[in-house]
Amino acid sequence: MLEILIHGAVSSAIYAMLAVGFTLIFGVARVLNLAHGSFYALGAYGAYYFTSHLHMPLLPAALLAIGLVALFGVFVEKVLVRPMRRSQLAVLMITLAVALVVEQALFLTFGSEYRNVPEFVSRKFTIGGVDVGGQRLLALGVSVVLIGLLWLFIQRTRLGSAILAVSQDPEAASYMGIPSDRIFSIVMALSAALAAAAGVLAGPFLTVQPTMWLLPIVKAFAIVIVGGLGSIPGSILAALMLGYAETIVGYTISTSWTEIVSVAATLLMLVFRPAGMFGKRAAF
Amino acid sequence: MFGKRIDFAGAAGFVAFMAVLPLVFGGNYLIGVLTVSVIYGIWAVSWDFMSGLTGRENFGHSLFIGVGAYTAGFLNTKFGFSGWWSLPASMIAATVFALIIGLPTLRLRGPYFALAMLSGAVIMQRLMLIFWEQTGGEEGINGIEPLIHSQLGFYYFALATLVVTTALLLALARSHWGLILRAIRGDEATCQAAGINVTYYKIASLVISAAFAGAGGALYAHYQLQVSPQLFAVVTSITIITMVYVGGMASIYGPVGGAILLVLLTELLRDFGEWRLMVYSCTLILILFFLPNGLIAPTWRRVKAKLGRPQ
Repeated sequence: MLEILIHGAVSSAIYAMLAVGFTLIFGVARVLNLAHGSFYALGAYGAYYFTSHLHMPLLPAALLAIGLVALFGVFVEKVLVRPMRRSQLAVLMITLAVALVVEQALFLTFGSEYRNVPEFVSRKFTIGGVDVGGQRLLALGVSVVLIGLLWLFIQRTRLGSAILAVSQDPEAASYMGIPSDRIFSIVMALSAALAAAAGVLAGPFLTVQPTMWLLPIVKAFAIVIVGGLGSIPGSILAALMLGYAETIVGYTISTSWTEIVSVAATLLMLVFRPAGMFGKRAAF
Repeated sequence: MFGKRIDFAGAAGFVAFMAVLPLVFGGNYLIGVLTVSVIYGIWAVSWDFMSGLTGRENFGHSLFIGVGAYTAGFLNTKFGFSGWWSLPASMIAATVFALIIGLPTLRLRGPYFALAMLSGAVIMQRLMLIFWEQTGGEEGINGIEPLIHSQLGFYYFALATLVVTTALLLALARSHWGLILRAIRGDEATCQAAGINVTYYKIASLVISAAFAGAGGALYAHYQLQVSPQLFAVVTSITIITMVYVGGMASIYGPVGGAILLVLLTELLRDFGEWRLMVYSCTLILILFFLPNGLIAPTWRRVKAKLGRPQ
């Protein structure tokens, strides 16, 4: 029971980090970023490369990886996505193409073998008789802190208000003198950094290989549908639901069936309440 | 009238060219490459019929391909059906999957359909690995019987299937039906206001598209004599989408050319085998930026305009 509680919380936390960034860039710039999973993969590979090839200590390596991925996100947004923004589908196409280019680049440089991202914390903790890896607890803690900080940043700072304003009405926001293009870049950087952080933190206990971007994007999509496209509280709640649903299915039925949960949830939600739990009706 | 005759002559010339090619150069290797290119042609046309015409991009066409191929594999190896049952059975199986995903998502506007197809294909690939006892896991299903023993004979059968598929879908696309699909692409709300049951048309076109993709999957299974989870991979879908973009979206005949051109070209780049997918992805990005209308269909229109001009 306690095992389900802890492991469910850890996977929920990773999902939440992924889904919040995914929904944020959609809510603000109306960009559905299929390259979001690539940011996650690049974060994990970055940490791996800087520690094992350049022999950097883990913390600077992790921060450097996250920073570089954020820059890459800005590049994707400015150079590739922005000219395509008039068409929703062109954006989907171009971001999917970026995801594949990243996958292939990782495959060509690192091969298809699994890579090891070092752990920040390697000792195990025992909570109420349940053994939990320290890295998992760290992932849980850091993700709660990061999402909390993001929330404070959006609610409390001037830049955060600008982001909220653009998400509510980009045109009115630009009449108020808010440079919406710059806001898009900032949001893309935040969203990419969050995904990369998830990759760095989850890398040690998940498999790191070139196709690792795919499943997270499927999960993020399911979470965002259930929570409501563009809603941050919705996606946090939905991440908890999916994380726990998968853990419970894994423990009670079989781990084989966990992958079905997200697709079933997506399809059911689209049938009964397409706007999601917190989404605006008919988002676009 | 004249334009139609040129179209017909162009199509006939193309089919004749494809039919004669293996006779002139011979060799099982070339026949194999051509067979694969023709099967990709079927997939590209079927993708274009739904996604090109209605503008709803399907990121998981590999779902229908894989379902068709696995249906063929199961029927043939586990239940001992003759290979000829594979084609209708895989069309039906793909149709069922099209309804499961299409019914909830195509009612909605927005990107739900594109993403649900992508998820569907990813999850199906995972399921093939997870339930390896039934599906053979990474190895897939081996020992599928060939449909036609002669390799050349099978190539002609696949080519004939491609011609029939393209002719049927082209006829549909140029009928009243296709007009409605194009109208949906233009403005869905207006179509609805004009009393058109938009959802019905979108789902029906997805079902048709899925059925032909499934048939192509069955052909592929009987060509490779095995199926593997790799068929469901996103790269399969992306390869097809790239072919359609190269051919020219919504032209139906363009994607056939795009598929054959790209398969033959990548065969020339075989020494760079590992780079193949990289080349595809970069081609796709470049086409999106510089040739949003594609390459083959616009070229053909230009040729036609030149020929059709009164001297």
